[in-house]
Amino acid sequence: MESKKYTLRIQRNEQNSDGSIASKWQDFTVEGLDTTTILSFLEDIKGNQDGSLTFRQSCRSAICGSCAMRIGDRTRLACKTHIGEVVDENGVVDISPQRNQPVLKDLVIDIDPFFEKIRKIRPYLTEGEDSDTHVGASAYDQVNHVTQCIMCGSCYSDCTMSEVSDEYLGPAALAKAFRFVSDPREGKKTARLKALSKDHGMWSCVRCVQCVATCPKDVKPMEAIVKLRTRGIEKGFVKGVGQRHALAFHEDINKSGDLNEFTLLTRSVGIFGSIAEMGVAFHLMQKGKIPSPFPHKAEGIQEVRAMYHELEANPLDVETKAAEVEPE
Amino acid sequence: MSLEFAYYPGCAAKQVQKEAASSAEAVAEVLGITLKPMTRATCCGAVSLRETKPAFSLAVAARILSEAEAMGHDLCTICNTCLQTLSHANYRFKHEPDILEQINGVLKKAGVRPYEASIKVHHLLWVVTEQVDPELLKSKIVRPINGMNVAPFYGCHSQRPEEIFDARKGDKVDQLDQLIRAVGGNAVEYEGKDKCCGFHVMLSDKNEMRTMVGKNCLDAKSSGAELMISPCTLCDMAMGAYQGPAESVVGESIDLPEMNFAQLLGIALGIDSKILGISRLHVDPTPAFKERNV
Repeated sequence: MESKKYTLRIQRNEQNSDGSIASKWQDFTVEGLDTTTILSFLEDIKGNQDGSLTFRQSCRSAICGSCAMRIGDRTRLACKTHIGEVVDENGVVDISPQRNQPVLKDLVIDIDPFFEKIRKIRPYLTEGEDSDTHVGASAYDQVNHVTQCIMCGSCYSDCTMSEVSDEYLGPAALAKAFRFVSDPREGKKTARLKALSKDHGMWSCVRCVQCVATCPKDVKPMEAIVKLRTRGIEKGFVKGVGQRHALAFHEDINKSGDLNEFTLLTRSVGIFGSIAEMGVAFHLMQKGKIPSPFPHKAEGIQEVRAMYHELEANPLDVETKAAEVEPE
Repeated sequence: MSLEFAYYPGCAAKQVQKEAASSAEAVAEVLGITLKPMTRATCCGAVSLRETKPAFSLAVAARILSEAEAMGHDLCTICNTCLQTLSHANYRFKHEPDILEQINGVLKKAGVRPYEASIKVHHLLWVVTEQVDPELLKSKIVRPINGMNVAPFYGCHSQRPEEIFDARKGDKVDQLDQLIRAVGGNAVEYEGKDKCCGFHVMLSDKNEMRTMVGKNCLDAKSSGAELMISPCTLCDMAMGAYQGPAESVVGESIDLPEMNFAQLLGIALGIDSKILGISRLHVDPTPAFKERNV
């Protein structure tokens, strides 16, 4: 393979005396193969071009999670990312620190807010009334999905809800919470689901799937969030706006087939919430956009009801399961 | 090549965002794409149904896909969330034969034709940019938009997760960019183009949702956008109808006209603005077009 020249466009960040951040972009020319990792280039720059360049790193094997940073269009592990995968047609790639947390210097962020949220979900098994003493062969079908998480913070950095909310728990903490809710040994599953059903918890995910696309360990945090929601509803934590909105769907599909957008609002946020939304409703009305209270009825709707009743009588487990892990 | 599809507009396009449907249908006619109505199809259920009733959501999707299959066509939609929901179910049916068999068992008991997992799910935008002959498209453009700067807003559910979209060729998501260039515009690069419109937390996390709308629009505007387009009726609603409420949260005026991709394409194809429902848009795009002599 041929060695080539590349440009790493690195965001240099310096803290001013007042705590604000002075930011500028600096180009570094490096030489290497298509398969050289970004981390190797960063070390090369630090060793041979500019010793002041600051970044975190440790294991070089995509297991410690230290070197997560924005590389190109998303957050990636520098040690796992080959330059050939991320450069544009001119051989240039932008590198900047993780988002949604305070920058300390260059590519280093203060990761405390991220871990604060992990701590918030109490990331350890707890004793309690929900403990199952029997741990069967299928017990880790769900747990194993999320245990691969290395706490690198990539998902948190690219999370579109975390970008606009400091309070939202974020994908990694929620995936970790699912790891405990789905563990047969956990004793406080119900209490956990209750806590996660509150504001800024599992119902605040926008389901943009960015965390699934970003995660370097294929944890699929959003899938874990969807499964948490299913379990929360099953336990009867259905009072929030998110839950009520979600529950409206199967009612409507069974009734007429289509969503009744006219009554969806009152069923989701209640009558007072609807009045609060009136500003928007008035605007919609001006544009002739108030939906009909009588949506179109699909043909053969009795078939849909029959499917529903069949599944209520004979439930099917269709959840995705973690692949079997063979001992090495 | 005959372009015929089982047409699944989705609930929003039948109700609040019906201008997207009338535009899509008019555009399809001009470009020789036949969209055949599905009379039995219900709401796809979105992720909401997957959360509340996981098995039922697959059964609902299978029944919809089976109707299209029985019509002898792939399915074509104009809503990102329908696209993702049906593609997700279809992906599972194609890769998990056990699940397909179990769900088909439910369909059979309810008197529904079982689904054979033989069709693909398309977005009309992909059909226009990937299947319609580019020369034909070019020949039909009678009102090019004269270099107008247009921000493509892709919306999450036509991009991610990548693997489920088997009807999209290759990896690159640039169909809106292609469309903008095809109608004579300039596709604006901006930070928010693949971010979230916030639609799904519109009621539960109001301020956060409005902040998303505000940030995405302001991003586009500061990158020079005169107009924003999206391929999704839900993004249209968020980025359009909620721009006013977003302004009060971000504390800045936005005033960026937003429309469905089919409406912009319809303008370029010379379709009547009444059919395209231009008067139903929240920010009037007429001044922006006048500025460009369109």
